[in-house]
Amino acid sequence: MSARKPSPYFRLLVPCCLLLLAALLPAQPPGPPQPPRTAKAAAPVDFTGYWVSPVMEDWRWRMVTPLKGDFASIPINRAGYDLGMQWDPAKDEAAGLQCKAYGAPAIMRIPGRVHITWQDENTLKIETDAGTQTRIFHFNSKAPPDEPATWQGYSEANWERPVRGEGDPRNDVPPIFSTRTGLRGKSLEVVTTHLRPGYLRKNGVPYSENTMLEEFYDYRTAPDGTPWFTVTTVVHDARYLNVPFITSTDFKKEADGSRWHPTPCEVR
Amino acid sequence: MRLSTIVVPAALVLVAAPAFAQVDFTGEWAPAYHEDAPERIPGPELGDYMGLPINDAARLRADSYDADRISVVTEYECRPHSADYGMRGLGDLRVTREINPITQELVAFHTYMPAWGSVRTIWMDGRPHPPEWAEHTWQGFSTGVWDGNTLVITTTHLKANYYRRNGIESSDKRTVTEYWTRHRDYLTVVTHVVDPVLLTEPLVRSQNWTLDPGQKTQRMFCEYQPEVPGAPGAVPNHLPGTNPFLHEVADWYGLPYEATRGGAKTIYPEYKLTMPKPEKQPPAKCERFCVCTVLQDCQLHAAPPR
Repeated sequence: MSARKPSPYFRLLVPCCLLLLAALLPAQPPGPPQPPRTAKAAAPVDFTGYWVSPVMEDWRWRMVTPLKGDFASIPINRAGYDLGMQWDPAKDEAAGLQCKAYGAPAIMRIPGRVHITWQDENTLKIETDAGTQTRIFHFNSKAPPDEPATWQGYSEANWERPVRGEGDPRNDVPPIFSTRTGLRGKSLEVVTTHLRPGYLRKNGVPYSENTMLEEFYDYRTAPDGTPWFTVTTVVHDARYLNVPFITSTDFKKEADGSRWHPTPCEVR
Repeated sequence: MRLSTIVVPAALVLVAAPAFAQVDFTGEWAPAYHEDAPERIPGPELGDYMGLPINDAARLRADSYDADRISVVTEYECRPHSADYGMRGLGDLRVTREINPITQELVAFHTYMPAWGSVRTIWMDGRPHPPEWAEHTWQGFSTGVWDGNTLVITTTHLKANYYRRNGIESSDKRTVTEYWTRHRDYLTVVTHVVDPVLLTEPLVRSQNWTLDPGQKTQRMFCEYQPEVPGAPGAVPNHLPGTNPFLHEVADWYGLPYEATRGGAKTIYPEYKLTMPKPEKQPPAKCERFCVCTVLQDCQLHAAPPR
C-alpha cells in the first residue's frame, strides 16, 4: 500500500498554521495579572501646563461681542435663528446667567488661557481664565444617571484607540504582515453631555440641553520647537443646528502662568 | 467538508491584513465653513486685517489694494489659490494616494481642489526639497512624514499669493507646515505659516472637512477677458493715505478701527484690556452676511428658511 500524497491545500496549511502559531504564542509564560494603567500613566503626550489661544480665526466674533443677529459661520436652523434674535444681554444679567456663553461647547473658542493639570490618576482638569470655568475630563468613567446639567456638563475622555493592536509601528514582523505606520493614536477624545442650555456665541446663538459635544485634542510641536495643541470641536444639536457645528481652535504653550488673568463671565 | 477547506481560507484572511495601513486620507472631503465663512466664501471686506500677525509692509501693501485690480489686470484674473491659501479658501477637496506597485510603499498623496483646478502632490518617499533657486509654483513642493497619527507636511517653493483675498499678500519666501489629522470622518488641517517678509510671527489657522463620498468635485474654467475698462498696463491702486474704504468694516460691524488693522498685538487675549472703543456707534443689529455657512446662503441679506 503506497503512502497517500498530501494535497496542495495541506502543503499550504502547514506553514500557514506554523506562522500563525509563532505570531500568536507569547514569547514567555504569562506573569501575574497587572493592574490596568491609569490614564495619566498611559498618556501618549503631555497636555499639562499653561496655554494661550492666539485669535487668528473668527476674530470679530470672538474678541468682541458680535452684533445682534450676526450668526455667520454657524449652521443654525430657523428655530435657532428665531431664538437668537431674542437675545437680551440685560435680561441674562438680571437673571444671573452671565455664563451662558462660557459652557463647554463654546469655552475653548473664548479668547483666553487654559491651565491643564491632572486632578488625579484618571481625571484631567482644564481651567480657563476667561469666565473662571473648570472642565473635568473623566477617564474610565460614565456619567451617573442622576448627573445634573451644568455649563461644563459631564465629560468622558479616553486616549484615542489605535485601529488594531497596540498601535505601535511594528517593523519587526515578517513581510506577510503589514506594519502600522501612522496609526499610533495620540489624540485625546472627549464626549460631553448633561449640558445646561447656553450660547455658542456671546450674541445669543443657542444650544439646547440635548447637545452632545465631541472633541479631539491633538498635540504637536511647531518647527521652532514650541508645543501647540488643536482642539477640533463638533457640536451636535438637532434642535438648533442644521448640521453639526465644527470648529478647531489652536493653543500655544506658555512657559508659566505669569499671564494668567482670571475674569468673571461677561454677557457683553 | 475537509478541514483544509475551512482552515486555509481562514488562515489566509488572518494573514492578509491590509497591504497598506497608514492613516487613510483618501476620498472626497466637503469643507465646513464654520469659521470665517463670509471671508472665505463671498470674500473679505476691504480693510479687514483682523487676526493677522502682519507687519507694516503687508499693511501698506494691502492699503494700496484696489478691488478693480482683479478685473483690469489680466495677470490677476484666474490667479490660482496656493497650497496654503487653498486650504482656507474655497476648499472642496479630493485626496488620492499613489502606491509603488512593487514595494507597496506610499509614494505620494495627491490633492485636487476645483477652485482654479489646483492639483498638488505631497511626496512621502523621503525625497529632499529642491535647492532654493528652483522654480516656485502655486502649489510649491511638499513632503510629508508621520508623527503618530498626524501627517506633517512641509511646503516650500511657493509663489506669492494671499493670506486674505483683500490685498493681504503672502511672500514667496514663506514656509508652510501642515498637520493633517483624521478623526472618524472628520479631517482637520492646521496650517502654520512662517513668512519672514510679511508676518511678524507664524500665522496659524485650522480648517475642517467631513468625508462626503457623494461629493463630485468639478472641473473649473476661468477665462481671461477685460471686465472693467482700463488703460493697457494700468494697475488700479490707492496711493498711501488715499484709500477711502478702510474704515468701512469697522463702521459696519461696530469695531474699533485700530483692531481692524491687524498685527500680532491684536491676536492675544490681553488686547481686550487695551482695545479702544469703536469710533462710531455700532449698528443695532447685523446687516451684512449675517447668515453664511455655504455658498447658497451667503447672501448679503439672508435668514434661514422657515
